[in-house]
Amino acid sequence: MAAESKALNPGLYKQTLLAGLWRENPVFRLLLGMCPTLAVTAAVKPALTMGLSVIFVLICSNIVVSLMRNLLKPHLRILMFTLTIATFVTIADLFLKAFQPEMSETLGPYVPLIIVNCIIICRAEACASKNGLGLSIIDALGMGVGFTFALCVLAGIREILSTGAIWEIKVLPAGFVPWAAMSMPVGAFITLGLLIGLVNKISGKQAKSSCH
Amino acid sequence: MLKIKHFIQQSWLLIVSSFCFGLLIAVTNAAWSPRIEQNQKDKLNNLMRGLIADANDFKMVLEAVQIPGRKGRTTKTDIYEADDVDGRSIGFAFIASGPGFADKIKLVIAVDGKCEKFFGFDVLSSNETPGFGSKIKEDYYRNQFKGAPAGKLELVKVGKTEKLDSKIVAISGATVSSEAVVKIFNMYIDKVKEKLKAKGLIDNGR
Repeated sequence: MAAESKALNPGLYKQTLLAGLWRENPVFRLLLGMCPTLAVTAAVKPALTMGLSVIFVLICSNIVVSLMRNLLKPHLRILMFTLTIATFVTIADLFLKAFQPEMSETLGPYVPLIIVNCIIICRAEACASKNGLGLSIIDALGMGVGFTFALCVLAGIREILSTGAIWEIKVLPAGFVPWAAMSMPVGAFITLGLLIGLVNKISGKQAKSSCH
Repeated sequence: MLKIKHFIQQSWLLIVSSFCFGLLIAVTNAAWSPRIEQNQKDKLNNLMRGLIADANDFKMVLEAVQIPGRKGRTTKTDIYEADDVDGRSIGFAFIASGPGFADKIKLVIAVDGKCEKFFGFDVLSSNETPGFGSKIKEDYYRNQFKGAPAGKLELVKVGKTEKLDSKIVAISGATVSSEAVVKIFNMYIDKVKEKLKAKGLIDNGR
């Protein structure tokens, strides 16, 4: 009965979807998936490709895990999650190699490394293995879009400051001297740190105002 | 018997899933692998065509040539012959790889039909530091190899980049990557020449 009411509750769906975008944003709030966050955000194009690949893997793995949740043996569940995730990551990798070869080369080993991305295994464990299909898909979509949004914001700032362009379109005046450091790991760490600080500040203000 | 029953009870889902997922990957791979192979061929052809502008066609003349590398390891490469519109050989190209600053650097190197001068190189893949090592892809560094004698090259820190000789001027701030490219050239060129000579593709009065 409880499961039925959960499945029919549109408020819960909306809440789950929005949680991934802001309140439980995997990058800014949960600090999950840091490896691709730091490694592929030198420009917006690879960041968006990585985000879309993660959305695909998250949705597919959450669907499969949710469908088999009643059959899972507790001590074998992590093995099953990894097997499921690895399958869809391999498919995403093959797709990029076939249809986006340049992006596949730019992202290099970071596409196969989605297998060990904590966001996906976290959502399989925390949501898909305990909830129905609908809620699992919504959760995957929210988390995936939240992750992609975070990656694109980070990549946008880094790309503008390191090249003066965004999506390879010049946006800063010709006199702008590119900050080469922003395209390197140091730029990723600094930008991520500042963004997390900013998100914490905004979240803190929101929490205070909701208390009052 | 009980043990087998227990094993199957515990792991049937894992076994069935492994089979289904394996099948899914096999089908996907079968569907897309021709396209992936074509993409790789197209990229190599484009790079070779960029280096040997007059080439009309490329054909593989030597397959899996063994190149002795560092620490006794060997790598394999294929050598392609570039023919002009009349079918005459005007050069050779091959893939060469070696360690860079961050990761392996893969280059396409082209030499003229007599294997006396380099036509230059292009980068097939590299993960060198953006803004520093990645400058090996830039023209001012690559142009130093165009017309350089096809023999051992030497990396120097200061010099004239316009001068076409065996001295290659390193990129400021990316000495390791510059040196890696020169080392890759030096590792391959003698062996490639030797193999082409042995096959009668150079030094045979053609």
